[in-house]
Amino acid sequence: MNKVLLLALLFTLSFTACEKMSDDYDDESPVIDMTAIDASPQNCITIFRGEPLEFNAVFTDNIELGSFSIEMHHNFDHHTHSTDAEHCEEEGEEEEKTPVSPFRWIENYTIPSGLKSYTATVTIPIPQGVDVGLYHFMVRLTDAAGWQTFKGISVKIAEK
Amino acid sequence: MFAQNNAGLKGIVLDEQNIPLPGATVTLNVEKHGTVTDENGEFILANIPVGWYILEVSFLGFEKFNKKIHLLNYQQLQIRLHSSVHELQEVNISEFTKERQREVTTSYTFVDQSFLTKNESGSLMQTLSKLPGISSMDIGSGNSKPVIRGLGFNRVVVAENGLKHEGQEWGHDHGLEIDQHSVERIEIIKGPASLMYGSNAIVGVIDLRQLAVPVRNSKGGNVEVRSATNNKLYGFSTNLFQRNENWYWKARLSGKSYSDYRVPADSIEYMSYYFRLHNQQLRNTAGFEASASTTVGYQGTNSASHLTLSNVFMKSGFFANAHGLEIRSSLIPYDESDRDIDIPSQQVNHIKIMSNSYRTTNLAEFRLDIGYQHNLRKEFSEPVPHGYMPLPPDTLERQFSKHAASLHASTSIHSLEHHELKTGLSAEFQKNIRSGWGFIMPDYSSMSAGLYIVDKIEISNHWLISTGLRYDVGSISTADYKDWYSTPVNEVPVRLERAWRLNRNYHSISWAIGTTFLNGPLQLKMNAGKSFRMPNAKELSSNGLNYHMFRYEKGDSTLNAEESYQLDLGLDLIKPRWEVHLSTFINYFPNYIYLNPTAQYYEAQQIFYHRQSQVFRSGGELSASVKMTNELSWNMDIEYIWSVQLSGEKKGYTLPFTPPFSATTGFSFEQNLKGWLPNFYTGIDLQFTADQNRIVPPEKKTPGYQLVNLRAGGTVKLENLHVELSLQFKNIFNVKYYDHTSFYRLIEVPGPGRNLFISLNFPL
Repeated sequence: MNKVLLLALLFTLSFTACEKMSDDYDDESPVIDMTAIDASPQNCITIFRGEPLEFNAVFTDNIELGSFSIEMHHNFDHHTHSTDAEHCEEEGEEEEKTPVSPFRWIENYTIPSGLKSYTATVTIPIPQGVDVGLYHFMVRLTDAAGWQTFKGISVKIAEK
Repeated sequence: MFAQNNAGLKGIVLDEQNIPLPGATVTLNVEKHGTVTDENGEFILANIPVGWYILEVSFLGFEKFNKKIHLLNYQQLQIRLHSSVHELQEVNISEFTKERQREVTTSYTFVDQSFLTKNESGSLMQTLSKLPGISSMDIGSGNSKPVIRGLGFNRVVVAENGLKHEGQEWGHDHGLEIDQHSVERIEIIKGPASLMYGSNAIVGVIDLRQLAVPVRNSKGGNVEVRSATNNKLYGFSTNLFQRNENWYWKARLSGKSYSDYRVPADSIEYMSYYFRLHNQQLRNTAGFEASASTTVGYQGTNSASHLTLSNVFMKSGFFANAHGLEIRSSLIPYDESDRDIDIPSQQVNHIKIMSNSYRTTNLAEFRLDIGYQHNLRKEFSEPVPHGYMPLPPDTLERQFSKHAASLHASTSIHSLEHHELKTGLSAEFQKNIRSGWGFIMPDYSSMSAGLYIVDKIEISNHWLISTGLRYDVGSISTADYKDWYSTPVNEVPVRLERAWRLNRNYHSISWAIGTTFLNGPLQLKMNAGKSFRMPNAKELSSNGLNYHMFRYEKGDSTLNAEESYQLDLGLDLIKPRWEVHLSTFINYFPNYIYLNPTAQYYEAQQIFYHRQSQVFRSGGELSASVKMTNELSWNMDIEYIWSVQLSGEKKGYTLPFTPPFSATTGFSFEQNLKGWLPNFYTGIDLQFTADQNRIVPPEKKTPGYQLVNLRAGGTVKLENLHVELSLQFKNIFNVKYYDHTSFYRLIEVPGPGRNLFISLNFPL
């Protein structure tokens, strides 16, 4: 029976030993805050061809921010990935259409290392010749540990 | 002759064709008086006191004969046994498992047909996940991936009759392409098993055995029909077999169809977006499966050979609202029918030809297994322009066509005193061709060959030592790949090169040393072993957006073969009234290949790249059961896994898909009554699963839950028909819970709700 006890002891020991090993790792995702008055773009806004689109948001993380990306693509087929629960009114009115020269923006941005809070501002030029219509504006943010948060915003590009 | 006050019984045991059965067991009052029939099928029981007795005659492959007799003097009887045609029988299974249990020095589990019937679930791995230390990564209700002690993907080998099953194991949403009804018995080894199975057998092996041979001059078959309420499953499986003296054939046909499965929720909330569910059903998760197999075999006295041809086809849909991590709304009328399979969906066709042979002489046993398989997988998605990729021409997002040929030859020398020496050679060739508009990894071909020697040393009747060494060489060549569309690089459109020609060679030494010590009810096991795994093409050369996970995955062409060292300890105490089984392990990887989520982006998608890090893991399983009465027993299973990365960018983090602590306890009642419902059984299980708070990106902390499951069954006698009935009632309180290792966990989809499962098995 001694052997049994020994094994049982070994079993419990290995578990308790494990529990005591380092537990100080980050398990929280970063946050994209677009509630500020000057946060932009807001869901369902209309922007104009030939005018710049200003991106303005506050990123925060409990340990350290990583980097972010902005991707803008057309939503002429009305696929939805807005993360805002509300639908934009314009979506119902707009006809589905085939893209001719849709606007596209795919960029990755760095955040200076060591920051827990960062105010991101990016100016995105919308050229004159792009298709008007519904677009998606996607912001993705990581922290240094690799946790990701994203936000999807519906915007409309219109003729001024 | 017989004395005055004594009686006796003389008789002959025959089969249905009046052929004498030598070797049948004849007993009076169970074990009190017994004998075995001679070569003419005859027996004599002499000097038996006069009285009433229960005569029992049994022979493998035949139904037990029972009769109450009054022995007054010398009597003569002719006993005809009826073959138990609805069941395929093999060499004495309990003897076989006892021996295997002794000679496998790591944790060994044997699963027979009765376990599979009593616990049958939507897929083979869901059925097996009831076993401690085994779990499944579910992709909806009909597909799942195998996991042993928290590791899966390419670190578990699923083999059929000793030869590795070859699919696209690397994919999170790629289930196992096996018809669970074709499985006759399963051997599960939890522990390093590269010594016998080569690359990938890092945490263990699930070896499906389809080698049951029908008894001489028999024929028969059965039909099983089944249905489940949660996913409106309808399924059947039928098999037929026939054997004359030495030749036999077996054939099986199975099919099933299921609808979108039901979860106890009206909507799914993911990324602050609500998907309202129609009828609480998970949109577009229906599927169907059809498979067929046939075997021709020869069973001689000293040799046997069989050839099996099988084909499995499965098709199933993915949850429509969020494929991978991307939320989509589509114009497809998903809610029109809960049985149709729209896109996104996947389908696989798996063809297998296998031959298994052996020949035994006085000195040795020779075995030869040869196999060829073709796995054709297609994954369909709605064509959507993404990033710089324009609108794709069709719905075929990814296709993989994999051809694999394998060979395993071995010789066991059993003529040595106290030693059983086994040497073997295995070789494998693979070729994988991709197509479709979504690129994740390039075409590749790979080759590997290994040579091993194992010695089993009988130190005494109680003590066995097993030790072995293996050497493997392997190579993998990946092809180059260029995008089918252009990406602007400094305003110049370029068809980007995603993969480059690469040729890597690997070699590895695996070894194991273990011991089993048996003393009465006590069995102790200890095993130390090293296993390895060659990196796969995805780990070496992937370079593209994985649309199923919505992330950019990058390979690393410099990866080394992954190595794993493991120490296993096992303790079994088997008393007539109670049993305790404990198995624990500690495991160290100097270079675990880990898909590391980074803080960087590529074309606006988060980059995940493959890196190697040191990993330590530990855990184990504890099972206990107590027979409270002859019929009623209590049982408990506990399993726990702990893992930590010791180096690299995720130092201190666990490994992805680590199952939470779980314990299952229950009562079962089994009765071998005669009458209209013999072999009646029923049971209740309480499954307790703890929180999983140790996570790694992009996982989510998963709260614990409790589920209650019921089961019942038995043989229903209807006239001459013996129908096996099996009922399972799962998640009876319709609890909303999240399964930490499910493919749908990341998009906040709960596990399936209440489900009543019924199956009926008719002999033919």
